[in-house]
Amino acid sequence: PFGLFLIFGLLVGAYLVWMYWVERRR
Amino acid sequence: MTVHLIVFGAYFTVLFAIGWMSLRSTHSESDYWIAGGKLGWLVGGATLAATHCSAGTFVGTVGVMHSVGWSFGWLVLFIPVSYWFLAAVLAPRFTRQREMTLPAFIETRYYGKGVRGLAAVIILIATVVYIQAQILAGGLIANVILGIPMTWGMIGFTVVLIVYTMVGGMIAVVYTDLVQLVVMTLGAILGAPLALSALGGLGETLRYAEVVNPLTFTWEAMPPTLLFTIALAFALGTVATPEKLVRLYAMKDMRTIRRGVLLAIVFATAINLLVFIVALAASVLFPVLPTGDLAMPLVARSALPPILGSILLAAITAAMMSTVDSLLIVAGSALSHDIYGSLFAAHASPGRRNLINRAGVALVGSAPLVLLLSGIGEGELVQFIVLLFTALMGASFFAPVVLGVFWRRATREGATAAMLGGVTATFLWKLFGSEAIDPVLPGFLCSTALLFGVSLATPPPPAAALEPYFGSSPSSES
Repeated sequence: PFGLFLIFGLLVGAYLVWMYWVERRR
Repeated sequence: MTVHLIVFGAYFTVLFAIGWMSLRSTHSESDYWIAGGKLGWLVGGATLAATHCSAGTFVGTVGVMHSVGWSFGWLVLFIPVSYWFLAAVLAPRFTRQREMTLPAFIETRYYGKGVRGLAAVIILIATVVYIQAQILAGGLIANVILGIPMTWGMIGFTVVLIVYTMVGGMIAVVYTDLVQLVVMTLGAILGAPLALSALGGLGETLRYAEVVNPLTFTWEAMPPTLLFTIALAFALGTVATPEKLVRLYAMKDMRTIRRGVLLAIVFATAINLLVFIVALAASVLFPVLPTGDLAMPLVARSALPPILGSILLAAITAAMMSTVDSLLIVAGSALSHDIYGSLFAAHASPGRRNLINRAGVALVGSAPLVLLLSGIGEGELVQFIVLLFTALMGASFFAPVVLGVFWRRATREGATAAMLGGVTATFLWKLFGSEAIDPVLPGFLCSTALLFGVSLATPPPPAAALEPYFGSSPSSES
């Protein structure tokens, strides 16, 4: 074997970065 | 058996108690349909995740893991991507004006009661049939756990669901969803290690899985191109379903939505991944499986340690109930708020509306059971619509909702054509089209093309319809 867990983690990390960015620029 | 009865009795008592407490904090129609639009990120996110995971999440995966292998699991990555789209792209504009239902948004943006009625009818028909399949799964679970006839199980689940949803409305649904998400999460978190240890750990399980099916960890059975089109189909269906969109109206503000959606992404994806691991172990324990929906309840009862079987069955029950109660609110509001309330009883008193709303929930809740008991329920048409449910939603509502808040020129006639054309194209593709392409894709392309074409051929929308979404003063953005 099964990358799926790695990419899920990366996507959640990317969401956190986006959330931080969108709330900082206001 | 006795233990199971006591556990289920206690479980239903908790649900009824939440329903009763919610009744005491429901003071207006907005409280009843969208929990007053005051949900925080914890309950808001939990209800999104609990609604997302249905009986199919648990029941269907064992068979698929068996026939396709682990590459099917990559489909779950559509969850983070499509929910991010919901929170980042759609929600900021969609929630500028708070409504109580998706058809109400359609009326505000597309300035017509007819187009609102059309949206409500599509939602009503698709949802009632979809609930039928979930109630059927509930009857199966009751039969496996309690040994009672399936019919009794279906009646029992329907009564419990109608009682707490009808009494407590959306507030009851979101707080019971929180409880049911905890049950599902516990089931998945306890289930995966227990299933793996039954086989001697993760490494051993992975090795056995490859022996049973050498293609388990390859891309052969499910090529990435096919995975991608299926994921796209799920994504279109997920973003545009009324039960997701109405939760955006139920949450307090954009800041809350961003956090709630993150919570939903983490829980919905993690539960799916853990269920895949249980399914992988089950496919090793049961190299020859009965096909279809029987697999998971049977595996839970006979192959796994008894405690694990009970935990998993509780999780399946929670997944089923938390999806059906949300659909009851969506279908009930389509019937009483959008069709009856807006077309026939626009000036009814609050007390009378209260009665109509609760009657609507009871009616849409009992319709699936009546259809099932009269034998209309198990026909091929039901299976057909269930498979098409997300496709129908994606094809009917994605274009009118998303383009409606991004393209000023979208008109009432364009939205009507998009919904009717999307439904028609989805059905026709399912009947006559290629099996290799999910029907939501032609349905979605057809409805998008119709929205553009018909909108450009008809008079532009009045300024009043655009003001809430394109105006300079958003009323509830933060």
